[in-house]
Amino acid sequence: MKIDHTQPLEYSTQQNQLNIFGFWIFLGAEIMLFATLFTAYFIMENRTGNGPTGPEIFEIGPVLFETFILLTSSFTIGLAVHAMRIGRKKAMLAFLGVTLLLGVAFLSAEINEFVHYYHVGATYQTSGFTAALLTTLGTHGGHVTLGFFWGVCILIQVMKDGINARTANKSFIFSLYWHFLDVVWIFIFSFIYLKGLM
Amino acid sequence: MKELFPVKQVGGYLFSLVLTIVALIVYFMDFSFPVAMTILLVTAFVQAAVQLVLFMHAGETEDGTAIYTNVLYGIIIAMVTIIGSLLIFVWDM
Repeated sequence: MKIDHTQPLEYSTQQNQLNIFGFWIFLGAEIMLFATLFTAYFIMENRTGNGPTGPEIFEIGPVLFETFILLTSSFTIGLAVHAMRIGRKKAMLAFLGVTLLLGVAFLSAEINEFVHYYHVGATYQTSGFTAALLTTLGTHGGHVTLGFFWGVCILIQVMKDGINARTANKSFIFSLYWHFLDVVWIFIFSFIYLKGLM
Repeated sequence: MKELFPVKQVGGYLFSLVLTIVALIVYFMDFSFPVAMTILLVTAFVQAAVQLVLFMHAGETEDGTAIYTNVLYGIIIAMVTIIGSLLIFVWDM
């Protein structure tokens, strides 16, 4: 394996560069996936039937908590990649650990939110609006859940093998995924919650 | 300790926080729908750009152009899907 030392470690082999580029293509497909979910949501938004409407069930407090938690976790994973690039393994693991803890905090808030929806009578079967809402939020939450377990695997590998071309590449790609989930959340926050509450 | 918190990342984070708070104004103020939507669209897309450029290092290597092209393609398909469907199902055109 030829290692190019002019590039950061995660780009240092041709395979690494291709892995990163390939992951960007995957993210392009993810943009389209979430676009279809937003499409369904925007169409179903006012088709609430006998069920509750958005403003009746959305609560700004938990939503803001989730938003700031996810934004901060996107920041800490960025710091983890930076620490990785300057070869600080311990700092990198610490930032990655904080990121994953914030991920858990986000997920528990979202699970609470879903329980709240259930209690106020907004279930999957209630109306077009609740179905589209829960599918969109659930798909994002499912991604975060997957990301959490993926991140734990990355954490263990960096702990065992240290920072090398392979683990750096994997960590960098994980960071792309995590940042992307925050980008999706920004749109959920703006165009589902704030638009619904304004 | 200081080298672990680069200005670029901390600045990007603070800027994202500011954008989130600006977006939150539409919740507290009584704007008309077009004004509120404009604020939300601007803050959301600027924040997405901050993530992409600062945090995800999209343009950092020689693949940068291909990466941006790919993301732009995704966004165009997303916009056509969303706006096209709204035209038919919601705006009744």
